[in-house]
Amino acid sequence: MLKAFRAYLLLAALAAAAQAGKAQTVNGLQMTVSGVKLMEKAGLRDCPPGTNTVNAVQRPGDQLSVVTVAFKVLPDFKPRPPGTMKRPVATAADGTAYNTSVQFVDVGSVPEYSCDFVYRIPSGTVLKTLQIEDAKFDLSAPDK
Amino acid sequence: MEIDRRAFIASLGGPAAVALMDHEAKAEALEHYMEDKLDEMVAAQQPEKFPTVAEIEAQIETRPFRRGTGSVFTGARGQNVKKIEPMPDKPTLQDFFRLRFAPANHVLQSATRAMKTGMSEEIILACLLHDCVLSLIKPDHGWWGAQLFEPYIPEKSAFAIRYHQTLRFYPDTEAGYEYPDQYYRIFGHDYTPPKYIEDTYKMLKNHKWYMEPRLVTVNDLYAFDPNAKVSIEPFEDIIGRHFKQPKEGLGYDNSSSAHMWRTLARPDNPL
Repeated sequence: MLKAFRAYLLLAALAAAAQAGKAQTVNGLQMTVSGVKLMEKAGLRDCPPGTNTVNAVQRPGDQLSVVTVAFKVLPDFKPRPPGTMKRPVATAADGTAYNTSVQFVDVGSVPEYSCDFVYRIPSGTVLKTLQIEDAKFDLSAPDK
Repeated sequence: MEIDRRAFIASLGGPAAVALMDHEAKAEALEHYMEDKLDEMVAAQQPEKFPTVAEIEAQIETRPFRRGTGSVFTGARGQNVKKIEPMPDKPTLQDFFRLRFAPANHVLQSATRAMKTGMSEEIILACLLHDCVLSLIKPDHGWWGAQLFEPYIPEKSAFAIRYHQTLRFYPDTEAGYEYPDQYYRIFGHDYTPPKYIEDTYKMLKNHKWYMEPRLVTVNDLYAFDPNAKVSIEPFEDIIGRHFKQPKEGLGYDNSSSAHMWRTLARPDNPL
């Protein structure tokens, strides 16, 4: 029984890892989560990286969790009115949702780019999922 | 460590200078260059040490001018001021942008971003104008700025300009606003806003127009890319639709802020 449970956990972890690293496409925009890391200071650059170079600084009791997402603009991408694409929302294991201050600006302006979405979360919190439009990524994979 | 060959050669004085060096000198120069780069990389990874309020206050008597002086009244980096071009007889907002607010990168970038993120025209206009008054005066620039523009712009834009100053001190991650690290640098990391700012914040939190100044803070980029090219041209239509340009020219229409425009127009007047 224990063996079967371990195997289940391993499979679940592998599936999560596969999902986190797996590309998902929304409106011709292919997205892949390429990493999650904790930082003391993080740039709040727009996505794609643009003119905003404001930084967020870690404060006592919180931490900055940075989720890196790679984007690829596919041929069937259709530009939408400015401000249509909402900021990605990250959710912790307890279901608390966190917002980022990183904004989408001109998402189709460059063919490929990578963005860092910064989340200020209480110390010790681990982000579990990332939602960008209809795409949901599992961030709980050990290497993500 | 990757070496940027061109940057390395340039640091030595260019290819001609390198050609005159023997192998040993080149090897030594490369070693020094790599050490310097390594130091830079290590320094970049160190957390920045922000000043305290007391440290910032200690700088007051190191300057020949007050920190709150408007930028038209002080020389760049402590240098003497320069003669400024006179304003036309009937100056427009665009004239002030060209001759008194220039280079205005900060407000132009804020407005550009507001446009790209789909803000309303009132907010784009507020972003375009929100810090222009810093040419005249800096403390309480939200209130001064709103007063300067109030006779000419929509009420919502004036509200946004007046109160963006307050909301800059209060993060709102739901709206997409983080307390900027630049504020740790200019106010001190242990700074707490005075009571009137706190009271204003409490009032704003329950105000139906809370999001107007909040959206200015979201697009208020104290840190911006100095290489980005911005101009006032993309905003000409919004100015045309929402800025009531007085036919007498700004400063000569007897409005409640006409004197402020005249002061900006003639900052060298002795009285």
